[in-house]
Amino acid sequence: MVTGGIGWVVAVNLIIWTGLFLYLLRLGARLRDLEKKP
Amino acid sequence: MRKLLAWLLWLWLSAVIVGAFLYAPLAKGFIGQSSRILFFHVPMAWVSFVAFIAAGVWSLLFLRGRDPKHDRAAAVAVELGVLFGVLATVTGALWARVMWGAYWNWDPRQTSIVVALLFYGAYLALRSSLEDRDQRARLSAAYAVLGLVVAPFLFFIMPRIMFSLHPQSVINAQGKVEMESRMVQVLLGGSAGCTALFFWIHNLRCRVQALAERKSALYE
Repeated sequence: MVTGGIGWVVAVNLIIWTGLFLYLLRLGARLRDLEKKP
Repeated sequence: MRKLLAWLLWLWLSAVIVGAFLYAPLAKGFIGQSSRILFFHVPMAWVSFVAFIAAGVWSLLFLRGRDPKHDRAAAVAVELGVLFGVLATVTGALWARVMWGAYWNWDPRQTSIVVALLFYGAYLALRSSLEDRDQRARLSAAYAVLGLVVAPFLFFIMPRIMFSLHPQSVINAQGKVEMESRMVQVLLGGSAGCTALFFWIHNLRCRVQALAERKSALYE
């Protein structure tokens, strides 16, 4: 039961972290494109 | 290569999250699962300190070479330091509610981080109050250099010279580590990962600022 509860907390934390990570990755790619423009 | 490093960071911090909840044991003397917040609270406070020191170093570099790149880097470091400092304060207050019965107790640790946030909040206010770019860069660099003395005092010295209910630091006053080894592993892993995350976000934010400045220069 306790592991089940903790499992949800881990899953939510991982989803939040992955969301932030993908956002940063996309921002980096976008910036590289913009920096190439004269 | 950059992408590979980014994915390694994702893997690293994901392992820290899993480790914080499923690998590290609960600390003795804490209510329920409350000790697990330590693995997020301490790295955030650490990153806040690193950011403020980095801002001081970039400000010194600016005063030496007058390169606007260093001024931008210092300002972004302070912004991120304040953000991580607020997150550390909030996570600390949540823990205090469980352990001490109130979100805010004016404990020396709580007070010192608020003073640090006010100090760097004043830095941001100073920057936004000056319109002349050179004057803004020079004055805020001098202020951030002062932070090289203020930040270590507020983060490490003041909480140690006053009586505090706050749990001991990872390295206690006797210079020993008394924490369970798995907890130390997760805590150090989290601190290292969050430091890398800080430098990544810092790099992105500086580049956004540089592009914004380039764009505004085009319209001037």
